[in-house]
Amino acid sequence: MSKTIIDANNTNFLPNLRELRQYRDLFITLSWRDFKVRYAQTTVGFLWAFLQPVVYLLILTLVFNRIGGIETHVNHLVFTTAGYSIWAYFSFVMTNSGNSIIVNGDMVKKIYFPRLIIPLSKAVVGLIDFGIAVLILIVLMIANNVVPSTNIWAAPLFILLGVISALGVGIWLSALSVRFRDFQHVVPFMVQIGMYVSPVAYPAEEVTNAVPTWAANLYYLNPMAGVTQGFRWSLFGGQAPGGFMWISIVMVFLIFLSGLFYFKKVEREMADFV
Amino acid sequence: MISKAIKIQNLSKRYQIGKRKDGSLRGTLTSLFSRKKKVEEFWALKDFNLEIEHGEVLGIIGKNGAGKSTLLKLLSQITFPTTGRIEINGRVASLLEVGTGFHPELTGRENIFLNGTILGMSRKEVASKFDEIVAFSGIQKFIDTPVKRYSSGMYVRLAFAVAAHLEPEILIIDEVLAVGDMEFQKKCLGKMKDVAGQGRTVIFVSHNMAAVKSLCTSCVTMSKGQLVYQGSVTEAIKHYLSTGGDDSIYTPDNVKKDQDVYFKRIEVQDKDGENTSNFTCDDAINIKFHLGINAENNPFNLFVTIKDQHGSPVFSAEKKIQNEEMTLTINSMFLVRGNYMIHTFVHIPNVIQIDIAEDVCQFNLTDSTSPFAIHGNYNYGNVFGNYSWK
Repeated sequence: MSKTIIDANNTNFLPNLRELRQYRDLFITLSWRDFKVRYAQTTVGFLWAFLQPVVYLLILTLVFNRIGGIETHVNHLVFTTAGYSIWAYFSFVMTNSGNSIIVNGDMVKKIYFPRLIIPLSKAVVGLIDFGIAVLILIVLMIANNVVPSTNIWAAPLFILLGVISALGVGIWLSALSVRFRDFQHVVPFMVQIGMYVSPVAYPAEEVTNAVPTWAANLYYLNPMAGVTQGFRWSLFGGQAPGGFMWISIVMVFLIFLSGLFYFKKVEREMADFV
Repeated sequence: MISKAIKIQNLSKRYQIGKRKDGSLRGTLTSLFSRKKKVEEFWALKDFNLEIEHGEVLGIIGKNGAGKSTLLKLLSQITFPTTGRIEINGRVASLLEVGTGFHPELTGRENIFLNGTILGMSRKEVASKFDEIVAFSGIQKFIDTPVKRYSSGMYVRLAFAVAAHLEPEILIIDEVLAVGDMEFQKKCLGKMKDVAGQGRTVIFVSHNMAAVKSLCTSCVTMSKGQLVYQGSVTEAIKHYLSTGGDDSIYTPDNVKKDQDVYFKRIEVQDKDGENTSNFTCDDAINIKFHLGINAENNPFNLFVTIKDQHGSPVFSAEKKIQNEEMTLTINSMFLVRGNYMIHTFVHIPNVIQIDIAEDVCQFNLTDSTSPFAIHGNYNYGNVFGNYSWK
């Protein structure tokens, strides 16, 4: 017979992995609910998921390449599509898991389950859009005769890093926005700024060559700086990401682990605040 | 079995009402730098102790604000205690509402899986009980229709059907029976009796004394965050009614004896003249004013306003004061379910007001029999209309 102890003096803020495992079916159902609901109401359905990134990518190429004169070693549109696919995944998951606790407030107030399931489940529905972006990328690569590099083995690793960093920031934001509603307004701002301070439509070398080392270090504190650059390197090769990338990778895990800790701390009183 | 099903020791829950935790960043920052700490504290539950045996069907009763809901939230781990400890032996399912997580865009079938897993079942468990759940709900025909097209009655049926098929060792239920039509309520009560009969532990919070009587083997009365009585159901209900009596009688802190007319006491009573603050919509409500009169042939009127739980006036009544005892009767099927209070004063209109009792004698109405009862929590208005169809 299972035994539960609730003790006000318990100060253990480590996530309960065994309990998360018990609730894996809830994780699956919630992910699948998001997926169903996302495409249930729109008449254009999946078409919409194609249209959005295509328009966006054309604009990015126009601004950065044709107007801004940024040169890349593969076709700029292909280059940007690769960067955009992983960045869009990051911003989607960050936004959706960031406000997920507030959006699901009714549920949080009425029933217990490990709250972490809610922001975590947002990582899955994001993969669908990511998949669509990758499809666009493949089509563009074929059309432009771009051959994948031999580094392609590293692509899954960088995707995984993207997932972890999106969840890390998302978990932080979901807990913060419960305690401080102001953070809901911070998220759209982060999404807008984030795309320009990540090497989505330009190579990261443009930054490291142009600014002093301390500024480059600062630039790579953004976890997506290293992840985006690394993901693209795994696809097209070129100059291998240097030591700067490790700053981003350390940040990914730092944000994720500290997020888990902070979330657990806030989790106890979430129902009182939402 | 040696261990108890649930053991609660020194459990307290404090809520802070005040500037600091208003949930804004600015509020927290300013309170960090300001010396004044204007934090109001409120103990929803204070040093609460309770032991529940395996197989016990325990009712929990108490007035609004007695701490019942807080206790349930702590037991079901929705929120965390400020002090104390709870030990639970067994798998818990708590039903603080039915249909948690239901999504209007999804079909009945999809929502059964969604709600089931939210309640802690595995997808496999839901699948194995699926046919039973659908049969219990009685909405086979609409199972592949999005629930946004359901009537509220169908919605509740489906939601309860999922909940009824949980198989926990300990079941915590909060007034979910206050929904649905009479026939469906009977079905739910029957299902809960089955659960209780299988030797499971059930904790049942309700305002419905009849349901508590018919279901529970023992009962706890709570008042102001503390346990008042634990024992037999009939004794607990007696305690409940006597603590409920606190609110049904209002006596001013300082009686204004030297005024021409003044309030001595106000009582809320049922049709038999018993003091109570719990009514159903079928009950007539008598409000008895005991006045002190020093001047015969006084020019004063008694003015009474009934306010709802948000403090908005529902209606008012006025009468010239002639007797020391005046009774205002509110007919049955006028006020809808909810909490009400009385705002009353003695005055000469537009001239002078000489005594006042503000927001006193809270009483509440529950609804399980009106034609609107099946609409669950839908806010259908402030009063039952006085209308006819042709």
